[in-house]
Amino acid sequence: MNNIPRFTWRKLGHLFSPESSLAPPWMHTHAQTPSVLQRRDCLRIFFCTRPPADVAGLFVSLIGFVDVEPNNLTQIIRVSQTPVLDLGQRGSFDEFGANPVSITTTENNDVRAYYAGWTRCESVPFNAAIGVAVSHDNGDSFRRLGPGPVLSYSLDEPFVIGSPKVRQFNKTWFLHYAAGCRWLKQYGRPEPVYRIRCATSHDGIVWNKEGRDIISLRLGADECQAGADIVEFKELFHMFFSYRQAVDFRNKDRGYRIGYAVSKNMRNWTRSDSSAGIDVSPEGWDSEMVSYAHVFHWNGTLYMLYQGNDVGRSGFGLAVLDSYEA
Amino acid sequence: MEMKWEKKGCVFDPTQHGLPFGCFAYAKGPQAVAMDGFRRVYFSSCSQDSSRKYLSNVCYADFSLDFGEVRKVNRHEVIALGELGAFDEHGIFPVHIFRGEQRELWAYTTGWSRRVSVSAEGAIGLAISRDLGRTFQKVGVGPIVCASLQEPFLIGDPFILKVRDAFHMWYIFGLRWISPDQGHQAERVYKIAHATSTDGINWKREGLPIIKDSLGSDECQALPSVLEVNGIYHMVFCYRDAVGFRTEPGKGYRLGYAYSLDLVQWVRNDRLLGLPLTGEGWDGEMMCYPHLFDLGGRIALLYNGNNFGRNGFGLAILQSDINEHIIR
Repeated sequence: MNNIPRFTWRKLGHLFSPESSLAPPWMHTHAQTPSVLQRRDCLRIFFCTRPPADVAGLFVSLIGFVDVEPNNLTQIIRVSQTPVLDLGQRGSFDEFGANPVSITTTENNDVRAYYAGWTRCESVPFNAAIGVAVSHDNGDSFRRLGPGPVLSYSLDEPFVIGSPKVRQFNKTWFLHYAAGCRWLKQYGRPEPVYRIRCATSHDGIVWNKEGRDIISLRLGADECQAGADIVEFKELFHMFFSYRQAVDFRNKDRGYRIGYAVSKNMRNWTRSDSSAGIDVSPEGWDSEMVSYAHVFHWNGTLYMLYQGNDVGRSGFGLAVLDSYEA
Repeated sequence: MEMKWEKKGCVFDPTQHGLPFGCFAYAKGPQAVAMDGFRRVYFSSCSQDSSRKYLSNVCYADFSLDFGEVRKVNRHEVIALGELGAFDEHGIFPVHIFRGEQRELWAYTTGWSRRVSVSAEGAIGLAISRDLGRTFQKVGVGPIVCASLQEPFLIGDPFILKVRDAFHMWYIFGLRWISPDQGHQAERVYKIAHATSTDGINWKREGLPIIKDSLGSDECQALPSVLEVNGIYHMVFCYRDAVGFRTEPGKGYRLGYAYSLDLVQWVRNDRLLGLPLTGEGWDGEMMCYPHLFDLGGRIALLYNGNNFGRNGFGLAILQSDINEHIIR
């Protein structure tokens, strides 16, 4: 593509923190991977959060929401008092929780939550696969479509299938997700390397994997990519994704940043991270990391939700489109 | 009329042949393959890792045509275990061998990887041999069949039959993990199911058990083996109670039987097989992991005995007409 668009975002602030007085006790830490449901009465922002760790220091992750005032998106008017989905049954792919989550609405007004379910393993810390839960009450409560995942492992996507971002364009469902390609073990705790991949569907349940990495590498062979959120704007498809180094990434220098790619057809993507137009702040809750962007149309412009330091330990914030140059 | 079998007894004891990689016991899930002038039986044997947990490794033994003599066993790695984090990192059991085109052998594997809240997870992989079955190379690091929306875990025990242009797979999937009481480890419940394919790699599944339970809803069904004889499909499998099966007599694995005229409806009748537990000998307390196959024009069954095949596998040869009891 000859002319790569450039976005600039204006940050509107730290929208929600698990340390907020509004947060119920089960939202003990993290408010990650925000995803919006547009309702008549409010904008509902789903996210993943964690109760206190167990005796072994391990966390589970649960899906909750905050509702914000439609005419003032930084004004929180309600916080979910209970998780919208319980943990998966023993031995299943989502026994230890869900994170990230991505929300969409079907033709018959069901709300669907696509989420990465987490299980715990012996030789590696975890594995993930993608499940779906459906809500018939406009996002107040969800039930799993089935006890197992809708997108799982295959010959060349052997483990760590996660980070779903679901979208529908022209009656085709797109699921962009992260697929693990190897575990690195030379640094102590094994860490996975994963890349953004794509699957398509006619119903959001039976998926056809494209089977190729769709975003070129910038940080070398061990770059991790995830959270590929796509918005259609000015007749182009814009992807805001997250990328980081595979190991020693829990810090400012090697942690998550928001990358960008553009496409005319949802198949071929041109990467240009400098076009993303958002970076870490000089100080504060998003000064070390910004990631897991979720971009949506609202009131005639674009808004971006994103998580801050330490992959959303302190919550997520909001930004609004400041300028767009094509 | 029950089938009549001549039991040949235990024909392979894994401790007598110096299996590689520290495999000290077990020859589980025997699968007979007719080779040029001999018969090869693939099976899984167990070694222990540094934490003293078992690893199942694919091995084979070559027999004379009549199974009277063991000529050799493998001294090399037949199928590698999976890499860190892969579905088959902690073992392959069972393996099923399918004869492909151009002298290829396809190994459908059940790979195991260990979990924390339950003991393990299983999925089905594929590896192909182009050296007449000496070694197999994986088609990918990942599985070809694993957990799905209605089959949440423990996918394994594939058996493949090509009927005209369609591939059929019988396999098992886990329904639930149960905890009998406080402090008891979680036990699994799994059932036999059916899938079809046009290429042997991409499978269409139904997500439903196909064999009626005889021990109630917690019955565990495993290792289906199917043989077609004059248009009738015969399935031998094994089944057990979900709890107490390791130690309590009568709750362990027994052999089950079902037949089908159309590959869809299966009529289960374990008694017709005529191979009940006798209470005596190497297979008196347990019979499991069967393979029903054509032995030079006769119908034969390889299977494991007591202790899940710790002491090897045995052979039985059918003396009666397998279709005798079928009412068409």
